[in-house]
Amino acid sequence: MSIEVTGLNKKFGDFVALDDVNVTIPTGQLTALLGPSGGGKSTLLRIIAGLEKGDTGTVNIEGVNATNLPAQKRNVGFVFQHYAVFKHMTVAKNVAFGLEIRKRPKDEIAHRVDELLKLVHLSQFAHRLPSQLSGGQRQRMALARALAVEPSVLLLDEPFGALDAKVRKELRDWLRRLHDDVHVTTVFVTHDQEEAMEVADEIVVINEGRVEQVGTPDQLYDEPANDFVMSFLGEVTHLGGVSLRPHDIDLETQPLLAGAVEGSVSRMVRIGFEVRLHVLTVDGDEVSVIITRTHARSLGLEEGSTVYLTPAAGATVIPRMAAVG
Amino acid sequence: MTSTEIAAVRPARTPRRSGPRSTLTRSSGLGLGIAMIWFSALVLIPLMAVVVTAIDGGWDVFRSTITNGQTAAAIRLTVSTALGVTVVNVIMGPLIAWVLVRDRFWGKSVLEVMIDIPFALPTIVAGLVLLSLYGNDSPVGIDIANKRPAVFLAFLFVTLPFVVRMVQPVLEELDRDVEEAAASLGASRFTTFRRVVLPSLAPAIAAGAALSFARGVSEYGSLVLLSGNLPFKTEVTSVRILSSIENDNVPAAAAVATVLLVISLAVIVLLDVIQRRVAARG
Repeated sequence: MSIEVTGLNKKFGDFVALDDVNVTIPTGQLTALLGPSGGGKSTLLRIIAGLEKGDTGTVNIEGVNATNLPAQKRNVGFVFQHYAVFKHMTVAKNVAFGLEIRKRPKDEIAHRVDELLKLVHLSQFAHRLPSQLSGGQRQRMALARALAVEPSVLLLDEPFGALDAKVRKELRDWLRRLHDDVHVTTVFVTHDQEEAMEVADEIVVINEGRVEQVGTPDQLYDEPANDFVMSFLGEVTHLGGVSLRPHDIDLETQPLLAGAVEGSVSRMVRIGFEVRLHVLTVDGDEVSVIITRTHARSLGLEEGSTVYLTPAAGATVIPRMAAVG
Repeated sequence: MTSTEIAAVRPARTPRRSGPRSTLTRSSGLGLGIAMIWFSALVLIPLMAVVVTAIDGGWDVFRSTITNGQTAAAIRLTVSTALGVTVVNVIMGPLIAWVLVRDRFWGKSVLEVMIDIPFALPTIVAGLVLLSLYGNDSPVGIDIANKRPAVFLAFLFVTLPFVVRMVQPVLEELDRDVEEAAASLGASRFTTFRRVVLPSLAPAIAAGAALSFARGVSEYGSLVLLSGNLPFKTEVTSVRILSSIENDNVPAAAAVATVLLVISLAVIVLLDVIQRRVAARG
């Protein structure tokens, strides 16, 4: 196992950032730390990097106890949300920085920088200053800089958070492909569940300083450990005492199935191919249901229609707990 | 065929840019005009007047003034002391700024205000303060009255805030991420400072140094009491200029002033060159 965090606690004044966190991060995989802002995921990443110190607990990196090692000695690559470029140095100089610190021979550095710039598609910008690059290019440069020192783990703190939606999506795909090529153990922090599910092999869900669940994207989506995980990974609605996804509800205009809950459509919004319905049930619940445009048309639905709702076969259903989401 | 014609038939070659293209509009042109009039009235014309007065006196007056032993000694003392003080400020200024920006401690806000006192104090009051502390009846047993360290101390006192105040805002704006990035790449704190922080601070340090040097060269009030103005020993150029004027020798005063002007200009240009080097190196 590449990174092992045990019994980690961290407080900032009275605020508990991390509360007895235990996480193991597997070697060679891409792991996402997912959770809402202020949930402690960035703090965990910074403690792994040695940029912050935990109050209690230990951090092991590749079998070495790194708890008291300074950031300089941990051999981790770190990528910041706002790029943290050395703005007075050229792109090539930025990438070479870690190698120059390690006093590698000049021609070796030049060769390696060349290789990395090719990897991140910035070869033609080698002699530019970072201010002449776009946000996405700067972040790729920062990634090359972090990879230059051949880190044992690569840590990315909301790496695409400062970029616009389109670039974010491109870089996300690109990071996944890069990881498939380079295979360095990678941990990235994000609050975007779509990003985590699309890119990561494994997701660690963190909320209020605690680990809520660890698993593959499918495991988290299909078998959420609790209401929080379920609601954080996607939309959740409540039907007759259970929580489930709005698109996992069967909707009919006749009471065909036993146990179907009767209600009337109170609001209908069409977004592209899907139709979002708010159904007021006879029990007084407001349930949201998502069906396809075609389905809605075939049923002839309109506001005020009487409908019957049942959880779909194979739906992810968990008992309803405290009001979350 | 002349060379201009050859150049004309080579359209592939991009013309060399002669400088940034003017972006002046009518209103910003008016602004520039006002700024230039203001600048001319306050700075350029008086400066030219000094130079003209110096030239009016004739080359002989100029040369005899400058080569006069007492004047030359005063210029040497002033310039060398101002340079020395500037070097001290270049080291101490960023240090004080660093403490003020990065550390939290009891009494910080008081220190913050104290830094500006040399600025705010009338210089003659500063001179009085220095005299009572380091004069003949020094309560701390340090008597530097009528000695050269008195000049150095007075310069140091009045120039203290310049570098600190120039560096402070730049340091506040500096991204902590960048230092953390350097650390995670293996750079020691010293290397991080030298290669990442210092290049960002260099322009501010240079600007502060230029101010501090200029202020040193022109200082009068804070040192007249303590230094004793002894010819060949503790007499500075501002005192020398004043005595020339008192002796009705305006061309001589203007000649000394012109020399100071040239030296100051040279130092400012030099600082700018050094600053560019440091900022680009990293």
